[in-house]
Amino acid sequence: MNKDLEKVRNIGISAHIDSGKTTLTERILYYTQRIHAIHEVRGKDGVGATMDSMELEKERGITIQSAATYCSWKGTDINIIDTPGHVDFTVEVERALRVLDGAILILCSVGGVQSQSITVDRQMTRYNVPRIAFINKCDRTGANPERVVSQLRDKLNLNAVMIQLPIGLESDLEGMVDLVTMKAIYFDGDQGNQLRYEEIPDHLKDAAEEKREELLDAASMFSEELMEAMLEEEEIPEELLHAAIRKGTLDLELAPVMIGSAYKNKGVQPLLDAVEKYLPCPTEVKNTALDLDKGEEEVTVSNNPKDPLVALAFKLEDGRYGQLTYVRTYQGVLKKGETIFNTRTGKKVKVGRLVRMHANEMEEIEEAGAGDIVGLFGVDCASGDTFCDNKINWSMSSMHVPAPVISLAITPADNKAQDNMSKALNRFSKEDPTFKTFVDHETGETIISGMGELHLEVYIERMQREYKAEVEVGAPRVAYREAITQRAEFNYTHKKQTGGSGQFGRVAGFMEPLEEEEYEFVDEIVGGVIPREYIPSCDKGFQASMEKGLLIGAPITGVRCLINDGSYHAVDSSDMAFQQASKGAFKEGYKKAGPVIMEPIMKVAVEGPSEFQGAIMGSLNQRRGMIVGTSEEGNYTVVEADMPLSEMFGYSTTLRSLTQGKAEFTMEFSTYKQVPKSVSEELIKEYEESRKNG
Amino acid sequence: MGYEPLVKKNPLRVLNLAGNEKKMGLIMARAGLGKTALLVQIALDAILRGKRVVHISIGENLEKTKLWYDDIMEVILQECSVANPHELIDMVQRHRMIMSFKESAFNRARLEERLNDLILQDIFKPDCVVIDGFDFTTMDHKDLEDIKTLMENLRLQTWFSATSHRDDDRVSPSGVPAPCHELDDLFETVVLLKTEQDTVQLEIIRHNSDACSGDSCQLILDPATMMVKKDD
Repeated sequence: MNKDLEKVRNIGISAHIDSGKTTLTERILYYTQRIHAIHEVRGKDGVGATMDSMELEKERGITIQSAATYCSWKGTDINIIDTPGHVDFTVEVERALRVLDGAILILCSVGGVQSQSITVDRQMTRYNVPRIAFINKCDRTGANPERVVSQLRDKLNLNAVMIQLPIGLESDLEGMVDLVTMKAIYFDGDQGNQLRYEEIPDHLKDAAEEKREELLDAASMFSEELMEAMLEEEEIPEELLHAAIRKGTLDLELAPVMIGSAYKNKGVQPLLDAVEKYLPCPTEVKNTALDLDKGEEEVTVSNNPKDPLVALAFKLEDGRYGQLTYVRTYQGVLKKGETIFNTRTGKKVKVGRLVRMHANEMEEIEEAGAGDIVGLFGVDCASGDTFCDNKINWSMSSMHVPAPVISLAITPADNKAQDNMSKALNRFSKEDPTFKTFVDHETGETIISGMGELHLEVYIERMQREYKAEVEVGAPRVAYREAITQRAEFNYTHKKQTGGSGQFGRVAGFMEPLEEEEYEFVDEIVGGVIPREYIPSCDKGFQASMEKGLLIGAPITGVRCLINDGSYHAVDSSDMAFQQASKGAFKEGYKKAGPVIMEPIMKVAVEGPSEFQGAIMGSLNQRRGMIVGTSEEGNYTVVEADMPLSEMFGYSTTLRSLTQGKAEFTMEFSTYKQVPKSVSEELIKEYEESRKNG
Repeated sequence: MGYEPLVKKNPLRVLNLAGNEKKMGLIMARAGLGKTALLVQIALDAILRGKRVVHISIGENLEKTKLWYDDIMEVILQECSVANPHELIDMVQRHRMIMSFKESAFNRARLEERLNDLILQDIFKPDCVVIDGFDFTTMDHKDLEDIKTLMENLRLQTWFSATSHRDDDRVSPSGVPAPCHELDDLFETVVLLKTEQDTVQLEIIRHNSDACSGDSCQLILDPATMMVKKDD
């Protein structure tokens, strides 16, 4: 095992559909000798080629789909981590991005920066992932790398700088000029595995000089030495330029752009060199954990193998040998046979099998050091769990999981689907803590809930695709809540005489709104007016009342219940009687406490061409949205707004027809807010009607 | 509205901003002295008086601009106790809209289009516009006059910020430094920010089109909060 962390790169490859991620990954694995032949798509007739490519994908499915693949290039260990294809915000995407130290952003030389690239890139910016851009498919008709570079600047706001210049384009693509070494690179041999370095062809000399100037200008911002060398007009050493580009890339201030055609075997080896040269090793990235013993205080992980272990499980997979858990170690050493503990559950687990994932096989290993990415077998955990040894209690991700804001009823189509559905649900809720599932006792329906319409759609889709579970989907429902707005007193006596022993209990006190917390119970009973043993009964009674509000039957949050008086009866008082009395008291107080309905508010960002800005804002405004602001870059606009979730159903269709399909939106949960009066009345009416009918 | 005590803390109270809807104001300073903070204060002052403000931020992103407001709101809330801070924050959000532009994406035509979008669709009806990061070096008198006319037609009070440079000592007769030295007649109010030891001084050069001079036009601001420093 390579213990030198400077020689480790954990990278992701992100790409728009069809820009050649499969082919590039394939080539990388071939050149790093992970696979020994390229399964070429050579069919001269169109039909053959597509068939081939489908088979290739199937055959290589394991390579591309496995969460992490290991390869080695010129002595550097490279772990390629799969970045999820779906773009909407889920915890899963967040996790995959967390374990990356750097990324290759693949772009099609014809299609350029497409909508998905934008979303993925924005997430990478959010998680501070340095990246190299690779403009692929330069052999295709219509290839225009220059245009893609300007899109990188305009649309993604990246300081994109070419570090290569193509020699020929489209079908004439021969190779490229390396603007750092000022040499032409050609790729010889059947598989392009022999690199031939030559002088720059005469007709490109001027263009290369010009582009190199641009590169030097951009890079000199990150190196004073380089700046001085340029001012003195000295010869610029290669290493100095490399170092400057690297610094800019790590600071996220520069995005080096490379070009090539993975399919034509051009440009892949230089890209691997760039991964090694410009992307960070694990120690160069600051990763933080939360110390659970100190109230989730932020701590920086050390990357030191001698420190106590901290490892994050970021992806689960069902394999032939049971659950395969992908983990990244952040510090310490993960050793086979050792006992580690899961900081979320507090459970101890033994490390059974430890494997390093290769393209199509796994290698058993004894230990994995800081910064490494490996697979664990036979460890029961959920995705996002952190493992430590028993010296520290840290967590890589916050323990706070937001409550779901939207739910759907799903019904399996038949018995077989029923089985598969429960398997799928079990798996999803393990993978994603924001995805919840339960059976509604009143209706017998299975309910799934999550953070947005799209979030649930993704899982329904996966259920059908991966688990063959056909389900019927009900209409989405917003998770409303109820809350109180003012303090209110209660004093309630529960009395029942039905022959035999009766029930008696009196509870008095007040309730008041509570910010931040869901519920608090305060006992200020003195003199034993309510006996000690019945105090928990009161607490229970209040909590039971919180489950279903009186306005629309939604759960109540943010209430402090304080009791300071009461009375009991020596014979007739019981646990049950005080629970009932508290429920009655709650009801009494709740009506006076100014109850309101709260609805989930989503942070929505709509992106599209500037010409549609007015239309986009209008559509948001109509849906009770509050527009926070807009930002315009070139001819591209982002509108940000706070929107009630209930108004966002079907928005994608509206948006599409409004903007000829040119705009798209992302949405994530922001907060709960009180609904306006008119809406509140509507909801209450609806609820009362449904109660009458049902 | 009940926010009058907050309004009084604002350094710009002295400029008596209320009422005068058709006017243009300018804040000038060297880089880093707090032009944006002052503009945000002007915006907040209007908001607390129940007005609606469009904040145009050129070359700065939406997130950072929002942070300015959050920071200054935090200071205000620390200094003055407010019964219901959430309501106040919510109110400020509802009365403010931020539009950020990349330098190259901003011009007069675009500004007019955007403001009309808002007003005609009844999305947001601003009373005041603050424009931060406007590039005066590429403007001539005619261009700015155009903008002034536009704003007057829309009945909007407008505030600009401009950066002056140490090595450019051109100055208008009334004391407005470059790059606005030839445009100063278009502004009813011009305010200059200067540093003096560890305080920031606010000097009013022109107010309601009258040239000002003397001590009465100077205010000392606390550089941390950009609030008026209390007299000791």
